Amino acid sequence: MQPSDFHEFGKSHPIIRFEKVPTGDGAILRLDQVRQRIQADVVRQTLISLQGQSPDNLLGEALYSERARLRREKPTIFTRGRYNRDRAIWSEIQAGLLKPVALVDRNQLVRKVLKHYVEEITGRFSQRVYNFTTNAIPFGMNYLLNAATVNHLVPWKLNQSLQSRLQILGEIPHLQRLSQKGTVLMVPTHQSNIDSILIGYIIYLMQLPPFAYGAGLNLFSNPVLSFFMGNLGAYTVDRKKNNAIYKETLKNYSTRMLREGIHSIFFPGGGRSRSGAIETKVKLGLLGTGLEAMRLNLKENVEKPNIYVVPLVMSYHFVLEASSLIEDYLLEAGKGRYLLHGDPSNQFSKVLNFFWQVFSANNGITVRVGKPMDIFGNFVDEDGRSIGPNGTTIDPKRWLMTRGEFHADPQRDHEYTRELGSKIVERFHRENTAMTSHLVAFAFFETLRSNYPDADLFKFLRISLAQRSIPYDNFLRSAEIYHQKLMKLADQGKIFVSDWLMTTDTKKWVEDGIKNLGIFHGNAVLRVNDGEIYTEDMNLLYYYRNRLAGYGLESR
Amino acid sequence: MGSNHAKDPFTGTRSLIDKDHPLYKEYFRKGTVAVIGGGSFGTTLANLVAENCSDVRMWVREEEQARNINATRTTKYIPGIPLNPKVHAYSGPERIFEGGVTAVIWALPAKVCREQAKALAKNFRGDEIVLHSTKGIEDGTLKTPCMILREELPCARVGVISGPNLADEISKGQPAATVVASKFDEVIRAGQILLTSKTFRIYGSNDVVGVEWAGTLKNIFAIAAGTLDALNLGWNSRSMLMTRGLAEMVRFGAAMGGDVSTFLGLAGVGDLFATCSSNLSRNYRVGIKLAQGQKVEQIVAELGSTAEGVRTARIVAQFAKKKGISMPITDGVVAMLDGSASAQDALRELMTRPPMFEEGIPD
Repeated sequence: MQPSDFHEFGKSHPIIRFEKVPTGDGAILRLDQVRQRIQADVVRQTLISLQGQSPDNLLGEALYSERARLRREKPTIFTRGRYNRDRAIWSEIQAGLLKPVALVDRNQLVRKVLKHYVEEITGRFSQRVYNFTTNAIPFGMNYLLNAATVNHLVPWKLNQSLQSRLQILGEIPHLQRLSQKGTVLMVPTHQSNIDSILIGYIIYLMQLPPFAYGAGLNLFSNPVLSFFMGNLGAYTVDRKKNNAIYKETLKNYSTRMLREGIHSIFFPGGGRSRSGAIETKVKLGLLGTGLEAMRLNLKENVEKPNIYVVPLVMSYHFVLEASSLIEDYLLEAGKGRYLLHGDPSNQFSKVLNFFWQVFSANNGITVRVGKPMDIFGNFVDEDGRSIGPNGTTIDPKRWLMTRGEFHADPQRDHEYTRELGSKIVERFHRENTAMTSHLVAFAFFETLRSNYPDADLFKFLRISLAQRSIPYDNFLRSAEIYHQKLMKLADQGKIFVSDWLMTTDTKKWVEDGIKNLGIFHGNAVLRVNDGEIYTEDMNLLYYYRNRLAGYGLESR
Repeated sequence: MGSNHAKDPFTGTRSLIDKDHPLYKEYFRKGTVAVIGGGSFGTTLANLVAENCSDVRMWVREEEQARNINATRTTKYIPGIPLNPKVHAYSGPERIFEGGVTAVIWALPAKVCREQAKALAKNFRGDEIVLHSTKGIEDGTLKTPCMILREELPCARVGVISGPNLADEISKGQPAATVVASKFDEVIRAGQILLTSKTFRIYGSNDVVGVEWAGTLKNIFAIAAGTLDALNLGWNSRSMLMTRGLAEMVRFGAAMGGDVSTFLGLAGVGDLFATCSSNLSRNYRVGIKLAQGQKVEQIVAELGSTAEGVRTARIVAQFAKKKGISMPITDGVVAMLDGSASAQDALRELMTRPPMFEEGIPD
């Protein structure tokens, strides 16, 4: 696809209103040609990074955990091939380890495992599939966006309805410019499996070239999804494989992709937010590959060495998997008081259903592109220069210099990555957009909670239906106070609020919030009846309430 | 990624020696070090560093002062001690940073820390190791010097030097030890290479906040110790002051995010002992004069160099009150500084507080 095609499409899309910046085609378009070389490089690099560790120990640990994983796993018709390949290689490794070192070279065994892992991880990129989907997805999206709202089908209201469904805000031209000046590492918040699909669409709308992203291996078990994702720059991440060889391979693969100049997406929180809250901790392993890629770029003096970190915060009124996520969270936090149900986001029909439903709700999704940063968490200006907290220009090259050269220093780099991690967490909170549903859930939860000061969280979550109501008028008064506090935070730049919250008419935003809050769950999260407001599902209420946790709004 | 050094399984101590070490040593030995500030501790550090690098450039504010130092090879702050021949003083920042420096020793008083960092920022390249010896915090924000330097300078690798280090004694070559704390081991290594001598030992720490606050807080109790000694009240009272003072330091320091164990080390209890026992300490001298009934303005003017405790006591007392951290000795010191209580009044107030349990050290 030519850049001009992006351009045309963007023009026709009223969701996106921003300055057009040419972004060019990405390095990912070359991925299929360089695939073999990347794989070979990753194997070689991983062998180097595993140097110094005993191959027997590494293989022994991997063999043990992989055997345990294979015992637990039940292959389906789609995953049987992979399962059998896994079994075959580990049987071979086991047999090899039983023979004396003189007969079987351990390094050869490690190399074999590495090749196996790299083959599994590696994504591909197919121009044909990309063209097909980019043509099909907008059609599908438009169809969903429009058809789902019958009352907006009249042509002159079409633009308006599109804008109200999906809002993309923030530093879009800035991001577009940086994508030309270096490699972009996008770090989104993660609430739902829908995120991956949505981000793909957003990136397309922003006229950026496709990004590489790590997707859970379980998503590849669906042959249709697997075909598309596998050909759209997704590579596989299997969180069940926790042995050192796999983790090192994955890190090196990510580093190598970034070094190739392929823009990438990491979900820094690891998995989806279980509690519904914005990530308060991030995983440093994969994040650290950004720094490593930049250091190697500098060392080898490449043309565009910079890696830019761009946070992306997505806000939903409704999260498809909310029930199972929050139960998962409470299970963890409450030590086995909750039972887990199936995860609906893995069912394809449910995913389609989600889109249908989300777009038929008002103000479905708000996405904010955060202020871009360098790999250390300093903001960068339009020209890609790093700017310190008080406006000093920082030379990021120098931060990676030790003894005047670009030496690796694991402790230093870990500390830099830790600083970047806490900066990302801070930006996530500041770039978050509070929606009416979040504030209603928060205000109701906190107001109700103040009626039961002695109950701990778990006791409180199990109060009976009869105990879960507040007179609606009282609730409105309380909601007004929370609204004022939130607006004050927004004035201080600590959070954004959606347009619907920009009102002093408490009743209006509360009603909008109640209407949209987790609208398609089986139980009503909030309902007003006979002058009383009550909830049918405490867990879901808690889940949506958590979106505004961590801002100090709780204290009254 | 291995973030921490291997702990010795037998002694539980961490060693900073690694295979990179000889190269580091060579890099700093051949390099130039800038010392910002020509006060007593700045000069002492300049002399120490001069033993371990090729050239030391000391920045002082006045042109005349620089010329004076270079001509006489001594400074009025540590009289009688000659400057190392490698040390040269300059007042122009461009000259200090010319050709690049490997490390910067930041030895300015807390109240000018931000202002000078802003002014000098453009001279830094970004890969310098910055070590500060500033004891004090910023009024209003309660930011420590490391935080200020990170905000104002284009450098990431900053650290702090703090411990029982009375400048006069170190200058005379009497044995002493200090703590160099930084989030980056690289900075600690640099500090060890540059400052270690036959009579000066460096211990490393990653608890920057704890070390900075320990060095700041102990000045308050040095004032109280001076007062107590001037009243001639004996060893028991001195010991009581230091122990309960330490309790206040730990309480406040932990609230600011420091490790309790840091306060039991050189930068905490070590520095507290030295400052509260020696009449060389400026804060201690402030205390003595307060007990004699002098006004604080007059004392500070006579002292001729900064006594950080005066400033710190007020800032800390105010913040502690707001946060509900109990700091009775600090409150007493502030009352004396403000002139609202005499030394005897303050002491009586402290001794007649309601009886209580000796609190354990908070986790």
